[in-house]
Amino acid sequence: MNTLDFPQLASAADIKAGFEQHGYICSEEIATAVFLACQLRKPILVEGPPGVGKTELAKTTAKLLELPLIRLQCYEGLDEAKALYEWKYGKQLLYTQVLKEKLGDLLQGAKGLAESVDRLHHFGDIFYSEDFLEPRPLLKAMHESEGSILLIDEVDKSDYEFESLLLEILSDYQVSIPEIGTVKAKSSPVVFLTSNNTRDISDALKRRCLHLYIPFPTTDLEERIVRSRVPDVDEGLREQIVNFVHSLRQLDLKKVPAISETIDWARSLLLLHAEQLDEATVRSTLNVLLKFQDDIEATEPELRSLLSPPKSGLAGGA
Amino acid sequence: MPSRLVSFINVLRSHDVRISPAETLDAVQVITTLGYEDRGQLRSGLSLALAKTAEEKVTFNRCFDQFFSYQLPESAEREAANSEEAVDSIPGADPAELEAAEAALQQMDGEGAETRLDLEGELAGDAALAGELDLPIMDMLRNDDRNALALAIARAGDAAGLPEIQMFTQKGQFTRRILDELGEAHIRSAIVELENRGSDALGELQGYRDRLRELVRDHVEREYLLHAQGRNQQFMDDVLAKARLSHIEHHYLHRVQDLVRRMAKKLAARHSRRRKVTKRGQLNMAKTLRRGIAHEGVLFNLYWKSTKKQRPQILAVCDVSGSVSAYAKFLLMFLYSLYDVLPRVRSFAFSNRLGEVSELFDQHTVEKAVELVNWQYGGATDYGASLMDFAQLALDDIDSQTTVIILGDARNNNGDPRLDVMQSIYARARQVIWLNPESRPMWGSGDSEMPRYLSCCHFAAECSSLAHLERIVDRLLRSAH
Repeated sequence: MNTLDFPQLASAADIKAGFEQHGYICSEEIATAVFLACQLRKPILVEGPPGVGKTELAKTTAKLLELPLIRLQCYEGLDEAKALYEWKYGKQLLYTQVLKEKLGDLLQGAKGLAESVDRLHHFGDIFYSEDFLEPRPLLKAMHESEGSILLIDEVDKSDYEFESLLLEILSDYQVSIPEIGTVKAKSSPVVFLTSNNTRDISDALKRRCLHLYIPFPTTDLEERIVRSRVPDVDEGLREQIVNFVHSLRQLDLKKVPAISETIDWARSLLLLHAEQLDEATVRSTLNVLLKFQDDIEATEPELRSLLSPPKSGLAGGA
Repeated sequence: MPSRLVSFINVLRSHDVRISPAETLDAVQVITTLGYEDRGQLRSGLSLALAKTAEEKVTFNRCFDQFFSYQLPESAEREAANSEEAVDSIPGADPAELEAAEAALQQMDGEGAETRLDLEGELAGDAALAGELDLPIMDMLRNDDRNALALAIARAGDAAGLPEIQMFTQKGQFTRRILDELGEAHIRSAIVELENRGSDALGELQGYRDRLRELVRDHVEREYLLHAQGRNQQFMDDVLAKARLSHIEHHYLHRVQDLVRRMAKKLAARHSRRRKVTKRGQLNMAKTLRRGIAHEGVLFNLYWKSTKKQRPQILAVCDVSGSVSAYAKFLLMFLYSLYDVLPRVRSFAFSNRLGEVSELFDQHTVEKAVELVNWQYGGATDYGASLMDFAQLALDDIDSQTTVIILGDARNNNGDPRLDVMQSIYARARQVIWLNPESRPMWGSGDSEMPRYLSCCHFAAECSSLAHLERIVDRLLRSAH
């Protein structure tokens, strides 16, 4: 019935180890967050710069627990008809047609208007019933009897009204449908909300969630991530890659390269059979790391100085 | 522990971390789930439940380390070990000298052992003295039980109300109170007694007393930093918010800017939810169907989902002549810090002529832009000409969703106030707000045209401090939407 039964969730250390088996290398903090979220049955609001693995965290949790992942991508203008439920209008229309034909049989022998109305009242009304309900992601998550992972992605892109809509689900794991009543979750899902911080999330929403901030990883952690994702890159190159990306993050750029870019870059370098980083290789592959022409132009003159410190660091380390 | 947690949360609150009672309960749950074994894990767990922005996380980590530091005696020992190492590694020290010093230290230890015997003997021989010193704190001091000492001092501190400490002048007072709580008076009288007797044990007992005093003083110092610092900052902010803006010393300007940013953030959070986003017209099937049922399911009456389009526009017209420029600066800072809620702000600056300065704010940071504006438009004021300029520039853009804010002292150097222009603005705008840094009784004195301009304002207010500004901007946000 509930998520506590999973042996994978016995402790934060178990979660961390489990994540690593699925190729998601994480810090102690992230594992603690998932552990607490499952234990206290609270949603996690994950914030952090883009590309640090916020969405990936939810996906990996789903893999680890072998539960279905239900994903709701937020955008401006998202409303309850797309997030929660919708009525099956076509079928409802057909139903009214059928009802009209049956009406004669139903009211046969009824004397006067009062009795007819009375009979109509006794006739089961299924116009607004679960039969005609089309569940959208949020309602679907309530219906999953084995539990599920609900990922509400980029909640900062949605409207403020939508945030209020989420409050009921996040605090009580239930959904109110005016025509039917309250639908309670059969088994409370593990909920992840992610935000890129394009705007402040309301206090009411934050209050209901655990708040996890994922920063850019330390060099050590990032090296392990690259090792797990791109195992074919040899150690020296990996160290150079990570050090270079870290020094890039110190620069004043429009968009700083994230973990996903580091991984992409490592893959590209592997395809190019690069043995080690030199100015020419970096220059030709810089567009994998930096997504704005301005950033690339700002970085190119610095390349030489950016490339030298990691090398001296290597020498010092050896 | 719950009481320690609550006082920790109070510390966080005094450092501007917003924590609701519900979050406090979450924190309690976190503690029961995680236990106390793993300090790092507990720290990240509590941070998940209590600190909800990246900045708050930084504050949280700092406070956590400060608050729970003295509960970890191992760290003190580690520090002691470090200092010993430091002694060992004094550069340039002669090894022989070091050896001599070590020998001296050992000798001192030996003497300590001897005097300890003295005190034992003295106590054994005198029941009254033994009774005087029969204190738990004495046992701890004699056994050098750091855990117990730290705990006893923390308890005594709580009993003495130490978390309420406000000013550094109270430190002595609190130290005294805690010492009394711990029964230091008995030790003192025992010392007097030993002094009278000329006993050998005097030195040892004095040593204990000094150690106790030092520990308590340290504890008070730490608590002061933890509790009072945040509170003092709040106090300072309160003072700054109420001070006349033109009187705030240059020294405090960066604090004021910080304060403005925080106030603006608060206002933005309060009002942001009112902003409606425009939506495309969509067919509202549910409503259309429901209406259709009355007509045998024929949908000839269509209903559309529509959201009201609201685009409030704000035109800020600021006098930047010498007397008023300080106020204009803060008003503009406020308005541009509210970009999230008020995306359509245009600003105009004037003294003897008027120009639009919105672009400056697009290109530079708010602080820098304000400086540039002052530099470009400063001078003697001419309201008539400036209003004419404003009408030429912007009158056509003023509509029923436009709020015009005029900031100035309305001192026109006896020129023509051009009320007719003001009236045409008044007639077109949703509202005209006049902010005057002078206090109300001064309005209309000398060359002030305020009473005449008042007839063309929906609302006029005195605005000489940040607190005023905040209230006015709050009102503005409420009415602009």
